[in-house]
Amino acid sequence: MRRAFHTLLTVLASAGIWSCMDYGPQPEERFSESGKGVFIVNEGNFNFGNASLSYYDVAGMRVENSVFSRANGISLGDVAQSMTVHDGRGYVAVNNSGVVFVIDLSTFRLVGMLEGLTSPRYVHFASDTKAYVTDLYDTRITIFDPTTMQVTGHVETGRTSTEQMVQYDRYLFVNCWSYDNRILVIDTETDEVCDEITVGIQPTSLVLDRNGKIWTITDGGYEGSPYGYEAPALYRIDAATRKVEREFLFVLGDAPSEIRIDGDGGTLYFINGGVWRMSVDADRLPDEPFIPGSGTIYYGLGVDPETSEVYVADAVDYMQSGVVMRYSPTGELLDSFRVGVTPGDFCFVR
Amino acid sequence: MLLPFVTAAQEERPAWSLDIDSVEVVTERHIKDIGVQKSEMDTTVLHQNISLSMADVLTHNSSLFIKSYGRATLSTASFRGTSASHTQVTWNGMNLNSPMLGMTDFSMIPAYFIDRATLYYGTSSVSVSGGGLGGAVALSTGPVSEHGFGLQFVQGVGSFSTFDDYLRFTYSDGRWSVSTRVVYSDSKNNFKYTNYRRKTGLVFDDTGALTGFEYPVERNKCGDFHDLHLLQELYYDAGNGHRFGLAAWYVDSDRGVPMLNVDYRDDADYSNRQRENTFRGVMSWSMIRGSLKLGARAGYIYTYLGYDYSRQIGGGEWAQMTRSRSYVNTVYGAFDAEYYIGRKWLFTAGITAHQNFVVSKDRNIIRQDGNSAIVGYDKARIELSGHVSAKWLPTERLGISVTLRDDFYGTEFTPVIPAAFLDFVASKRGNVVLKASISRNYRYPTLNDLYFLPGGNDTLRVERGFTYDGGVSFRVDGNGRLSFGGEVTAYDSYINDWICWLPTAKGFWSPVNIRKVHSYGVELKADATARFGRDWRLAIKGSYAWTPSINLGDPVNWADESIGKQLVYVPRNSAAVTGRLDWRSWSLAYEWTYYDKRYTTSSNETATRFDELGEYFMSDVWIEKRFAFRWADLSVKGVIRNLFNEEYESVLARPMPRMNFEFFVGIKPKFQSRKK
Repeated sequence: MRRAFHTLLTVLASAGIWSCMDYGPQPEERFSESGKGVFIVNEGNFNFGNASLSYYDVAGMRVENSVFSRANGISLGDVAQSMTVHDGRGYVAVNNSGVVFVIDLSTFRLVGMLEGLTSPRYVHFASDTKAYVTDLYDTRITIFDPTTMQVTGHVETGRTSTEQMVQYDRYLFVNCWSYDNRILVIDTETDEVCDEITVGIQPTSLVLDRNGKIWTITDGGYEGSPYGYEAPALYRIDAATRKVEREFLFVLGDAPSEIRIDGDGGTLYFINGGVWRMSVDADRLPDEPFIPGSGTIYYGLGVDPETSEVYVADAVDYMQSGVVMRYSPTGELLDSFRVGVTPGDFCFVR
Repeated sequence: MLLPFVTAAQEERPAWSLDIDSVEVVTERHIKDIGVQKSEMDTTVLHQNISLSMADVLTHNSSLFIKSYGRATLSTASFRGTSASHTQVTWNGMNLNSPMLGMTDFSMIPAYFIDRATLYYGTSSVSVSGGGLGGAVALSTGPVSEHGFGLQFVQGVGSFSTFDDYLRFTYSDGRWSVSTRVVYSDSKNNFKYTNYRRKTGLVFDDTGALTGFEYPVERNKCGDFHDLHLLQELYYDAGNGHRFGLAAWYVDSDRGVPMLNVDYRDDADYSNRQRENTFRGVMSWSMIRGSLKLGARAGYIYTYLGYDYSRQIGGGEWAQMTRSRSYVNTVYGAFDAEYYIGRKWLFTAGITAHQNFVVSKDRNIIRQDGNSAIVGYDKARIELSGHVSAKWLPTERLGISVTLRDDFYGTEFTPVIPAAFLDFVASKRGNVVLKASISRNYRYPTLNDLYFLPGGNDTLRVERGFTYDGGVSFRVDGNGRLSFGGEVTAYDSYINDWICWLPTAKGFWSPVNIRKVHSYGVELKADATARFGRDWRLAIKGSYAWTPSINLGDPVNWADESIGKQLVYVPRNSAAVTGRLDWRSWSLAYEWTYYDKRYTTSSNETATRFDELGEYFMSDVWIEKRFAFRWADLSVKGVIRNLFNEEYESVLARPMPRMNFEFFVGIKPKFQSRKK
């Protein structure tokens, strides 16, 4: 009550002097990071415009949050989806802002941006002068030149919700997630869809292993969906023949996602409640999780390509700063730290 | 000194009237309102200018928190630290809350279409509706008081190519009353603002380092709106205690949803629009005979809501990000009865029924077999609410009231909602009245909560509320020269099983009964009116609310830091002050609104600019001159909004307009024989 009384006085005093609102430019900070680091892409909340980028200094076990807005004095935007590193620069796809920002990996300063996108999801580099951007709603995959940051063309796919990309030889494999069941094969020389591979309902993510096999994991849709509802599955596809070789079924109602692979392409990781790990040569799904679930839904997963350390993101209630836990390859918790709201993607800088 | 008397069945006269030392004391204590915490707004507030929506009126004249994205965009109201879905809203008795979303967009209600608005706080909402865990807003229209023909036209022209038009035709002969009102609002709403969330004109040096930029001065994009409202009313007083009424309200709205200030897409290739067509019609009958009053109402609501969010991708092709369509048909019926036994007892009972038919089409997809399909739901639900109450004045100073209400939805009953009220006249001099009330209350899930695809959860339970409050009010009327009053109320309220939408492992969001919230606080209201000489009148009115609203749920896991923290977007303190000075035919008014900072994270973080919205201070001013000619009354009014030219966001990523203006000209031709 006493505080309320003081507040009331403050309010009345404020009314008298017509207080101004605190709004305006953000100050810019200088960063200079040079060591091995991990970027954490925090989606933020849809329509809040509060996406952010965190940077974790692996050796120093130190985290800097909101490095994009602190370094550049502007917002990262609405729903940051992914970050890809190429040629010393980071490409951050911000979904509901329709932009891909390019930042310097040391200073986090903006060095370019790609506009003219509908709802960008992931960026893949076919070469130093050619990259692809998938899109949640556009039926085209955008092609741009990273040296000029100009759109140079499109791949007409006829499908929405193109997601992650891996390249085998000259062929780009793209999973189509929302209300879909296809892996598209795109010839990077003609930029046309040259094949399609049918898998289960809603393939969420995609990796390429050391044996030339593509792995994707489906979520099976949801109960009541007009598209269908089935047990999710892990699929192994031969990249050369484009045939599904193996299908590992989960239990109906499971929600596996976020398939990742370690640096040598020999071990798969994915989320299904907890974090699971299996060899690319295994004949069956593992019986026990690598990291058990902690009562919440793990939202993001990353595997350090050099050390095979595992980073798993917990979004807590999705309305506060999430938490990232760093595990050794043996499953020992090495560190945990707070990042931004809804951490969803990891990007490793060597 | 006049002796106190109790309100009789046909009358709602003041319960107390004293004349002591030239100070006339008049309370507003009716037996129907024993212990009720409410505030009322009449046409002097509601019909201030034609550009105001109910959201604007509530912002300036109540302690409710109005979360607004700007003019003609979603504006919701919440009482006492609860959410917008805990505010029940009725129009002429009919529920206005969307059966899909459970809330009302107050920007869609022109204040000129409402003749009376009553805010019921906490427990007091039980007398209007179930499920008002925060409170209830009862909006109503009524017959015109002036006999003869009446015509009024107001033209408003404002900044950002804004045009507001209002036309009203009335006729009354004491028995019949007819009114036709039309409001049309049209605006590009393309105000300029400096966008501090983006940089343009980037200049890089040879090393690739950024060496130059500017914060762009942009216009609000895709924020245009075109709203048409038509209200037809017909009332008939049979003169034998029977009264009949008909009110029909049609809405045709086409609104852009402004782009976020962090959106890099070109607005020329972009569409984000909400279209609404709504018809609401309600017929009423009431009868007063002796100590008995009966009333019945029947109504119908049709709402079409279309939302399109798309981007042109070349060649005339559009990428559809969202294309949703919803159709709501609601049939409404209600019956009320009041019965007085002597002057000390009043019994009331009532039942309302809303039968909802909802078709929600959220997305078109191509199935695995190549055929198209719609993601959505098609559901019907009956919603019944019945109540009985007994109100008793055992002594001339003491009033006691008990209400029992029960709601039925679909196939389920909520638990019985009990409410008890008490008031006591502590002092007749100064009209000091003590009030207290206590209740349990329950809110059942909306149709989207239960059936939305994906994510609808048909296992949801009702939200459970418990609240009690107490307060004191006074009012002094100094023979018309000076009158003033005030009220202070403290409340304590708990909501368990609060329904929250949370993401699932499959990536979509789904509602769960997870949150426990404790809200408590103090509300202050005060007003004063002074007259100086024959020509001057000064009126000041203010409200203040201290509103801690604390999450007391179980932590999601060890990392959850939201427990014990203020809810997102609920200001801890809010205030509004309005001052009005009248001199002869001139009026000058100043309106000031304050909201404390609002957190955008459940853990109340403050590390970045995006974690909280700073304190909100807003000042508006208007001046009006009225001319009375033999043939017509004219008025000219100028409004300045955002007087101090503030740059701000009141919701993240939604820029708001700086100082802006609107100019109104009104005319009321005088027809023969107009008298009250």
